[in-house]
Amino acid sequence: MEQLADPHSGLVTRRTALKTFGTGLGTAALLPWLSDQGLAAFAGIQAANAVPNPKVLAPSQFATLETLVEAIIPADERSPGARAARVADYIDLLLSELERERVLEWFGGLAALDAAAAARFKSNFAALNAEQLDAILADISRNERAPQSPLELFFAVAKQATIQGYYTSEIGIQQELRYKGNKFLRDFVGCETEDGKDCPHCGQKHSGQ
Amino acid sequence: MQADRSLDVNLTRALEESKRLADQVKPGADRWDVIVVGTGAAGGMATYQLAMAGVKVLVLEAGRMIDVKTEYRTMEWPYASMRRQRLPPGERPIAIAEYNFLDRPYGGNTAYRQSSKVYSYAANSFTRNWVVDEREHPTTGTPYAWVRARVLGGKTNFWGRGALRYGPLQFNAASRDGFDVDWPISYDDVKPYYDKVDMLLGCSGTKEGLEQVPDGVFQRPYKLNCVEVAFKRAIARMGRHYIPGRAGVTTDGVLNKYRAKCAGRGRCGRGCDIGAAFHSPTALIYPARDTGRVTIRPYSIVSEVLVDQGGSRATGVRVIDANTREVMDFTARAVVLGAGTLDTARILLNSRSPRHPDGAGNSSGLLGCYLSEHIMGIRGSGYMPVRIGTESTLDDGRPVAPYIPRFRNITDRHPDFIRGYHFQGGGGCGEFPSMAHEIPGYGKAFKSNVRKYYPAIISFGGFGEVLPRKENRVLLDPDVKDAWGIPVLRFDYRFRDNELKMARDMADSIEEMLHVAGAEDIKIEREPLPPGWSIHEIGAARMGSDPKSSVTDPFCRLHDVKNVYLADASPFVCGGTQNTTWSILAMSWRTMDGLLEQMRTGSL
Repeated sequence: MEQLADPHSGLVTRRTALKTFGTGLGTAALLPWLSDQGLAAFAGIQAANAVPNPKVLAPSQFATLETLVEAIIPADERSPGARAARVADYIDLLLSELERERVLEWFGGLAALDAAAAARFKSNFAALNAEQLDAILADISRNERAPQSPLELFFAVAKQATIQGYYTSEIGIQQELRYKGNKFLRDFVGCETEDGKDCPHCGQKHSGQ
Repeated sequence: MQADRSLDVNLTRALEESKRLADQVKPGADRWDVIVVGTGAAGGMATYQLAMAGVKVLVLEAGRMIDVKTEYRTMEWPYASMRRQRLPPGERPIAIAEYNFLDRPYGGNTAYRQSSKVYSYAANSFTRNWVVDEREHPTTGTPYAWVRARVLGGKTNFWGRGALRYGPLQFNAASRDGFDVDWPISYDDVKPYYDKVDMLLGCSGTKEGLEQVPDGVFQRPYKLNCVEVAFKRAIARMGRHYIPGRAGVTTDGVLNKYRAKCAGRGRCGRGCDIGAAFHSPTALIYPARDTGRVTIRPYSIVSEVLVDQGGSRATGVRVIDANTREVMDFTARAVVLGAGTLDTARILLNSRSPRHPDGAGNSSGLLGCYLSEHIMGIRGSGYMPVRIGTESTLDDGRPVAPYIPRFRNITDRHPDFIRGYHFQGGGGCGEFPSMAHEIPGYGKAFKSNVRKYYPAIISFGGFGEVLPRKENRVLLDPDVKDAWGIPVLRFDYRFRDNELKMARDMADSIEEMLHVAGAEDIKIEREPLPPGWSIHEIGAARMGSDPKSSVTDPFCRLHDVKNVYLADASPFVCGGTQNTTWSILAMSWRTMDGLLEQMRTGSL
């Protein structure tokens, strides 16, 4: 968020924030309820789509991380993936505030991914093709419930962070989940059996017991 | 540390108002009939009742004023914040003492279990300006997650909206199972006040005719969503009920210019910016202030109740200004304590004088004893087949989840434990799919499985009665003081055999119900959260008819100091499984009726 204070990026006014915001979402009802600060922060995230500006990770580490998070939650026909949702930037921010030993675990995990890629495919992790990526991820996700090796443990931790970052992003909430809440309603919708009808969403009959 | 603008709420207006009021309101600035300590559910209702009855009130709030239009950020999306509304390290105001709020990715991973504790809903970027910093407000003794808010309205700014009544099963609990004592009052004594609270503040719910949770005067209820209807139909076959949540939220409107009716946005825990959810400032304090009979002094930390030479009457309270540390004595004809169960007990314990060496109102020696709350943390979840693989629907536009009322020890007698528990919970599409953390794998298969199971999740959490026991208590720590030099509370509070057996049955019963409902991939959490987690603390200054075995009389007035009234949950004898707020509101109203009667008859 420091770019907001950067004179080169220009001060983010409510007007520019609204402009950025308006292209992403058609939720006019939301606008009056967001504070100026909220809008500015949001606009900042949108603006960050241009150039990632990692705080902790070196460019090569950032590339490895972006490749990993996109492999965990990829783009598909329904919605963009973790790369477009800026999950790597989010994790970088968290790392900038974590205690040093945790950050070193992430550095270790990213280095281990590159080492695995080099050993099997003589390549950086970020340069692997889809098939090669899948081979490595299949390997390190095998013991997800009870991770044993350092890479298995790193996968489990990175996946949790990816989930947290992706499904709290605008892409995750609006495009992938198609979440319908957080808007003004006259009445809470609910299951239509509650209104004495058969429900088209779940197939339950109003008469059913 | 990186700046995060979503953390930087503009508090200028609230801070200026607070400073102006604190500067203006000094001893002798005016004459007040009654001093009310605290502005949450208890103090708010007390202030409202007294002001409406024509009484001049001085209200003392330990924190600052609130600017609800700025601070209630009801509809802010997670992506408005770079941290997605989590708090940066060092900014978690209640993380300092026993609880290290290690969040995901670490908090949810078994490999980090030893360093992971629990993530409280009460500590987030919306509440960070309201909840106290434990570095200034330490506690000692056994671990207790004591959530405190020092701001106008207190914890009602982010409370859980559960608006349930105690019934005969609570007021007469001892008559049924022989444990401890009954309340000195009955449900019939309090029922008219619950009814009036429902009508004044608005309560959403359905008439069910259940003895374990008596019906109220309800406004339009919230409907169940698809997975909930399926669950309800299944457990009905076991004779169990699953009913719409009862919410302290107005769905049909109330006569209050600060409040509109619910618009189904479902973000009430951050403060409702249209005032549909009950929060003490908009619902009680502002209308009371509009009478012109209410003076509010923020930054006023009450250290003790001042008692006259004879020891039987309070003359007022001693205040330490939170900013200037100036010590001031305010006087009035009566004192109402609504600082919250534990802070009220602390103020009384600290009110030591030659006549009351162990604290005002403590001739029984029982002040601080019989602290109780709810054991929680037992959870169960699964996927309901009717919604697996279906498209998203709007499932969370409401203030509370539905509710499985208590079913143990009502007509039967459980062999392992007395009293009971209830579950709150529901399902369907929420803003964040926390179930995604449980879906294995990666890639397109993982992503589409999250999507597939997202609408189908249903999950429940239990609330169980902690038996009121003399040995579960708080005392003043002889050595440790808070940032203002006031002795802190030392806890001696534990879950015991009855609670732990009850928790086992909770886990077994929610597992059984999820099986009966045909849920897939059932997960059960069997470990209770730490003591205090419910934020439903009651007791510590219990009421009774006999001054030898109780602290207050049946009108919540100290036996020993007749013009001191307790408006919060500190006089409660036992708390059933119900969320506490609605009972605090009803009891505070009743206690003020008692105070006003004493004023009319001249004994005050």
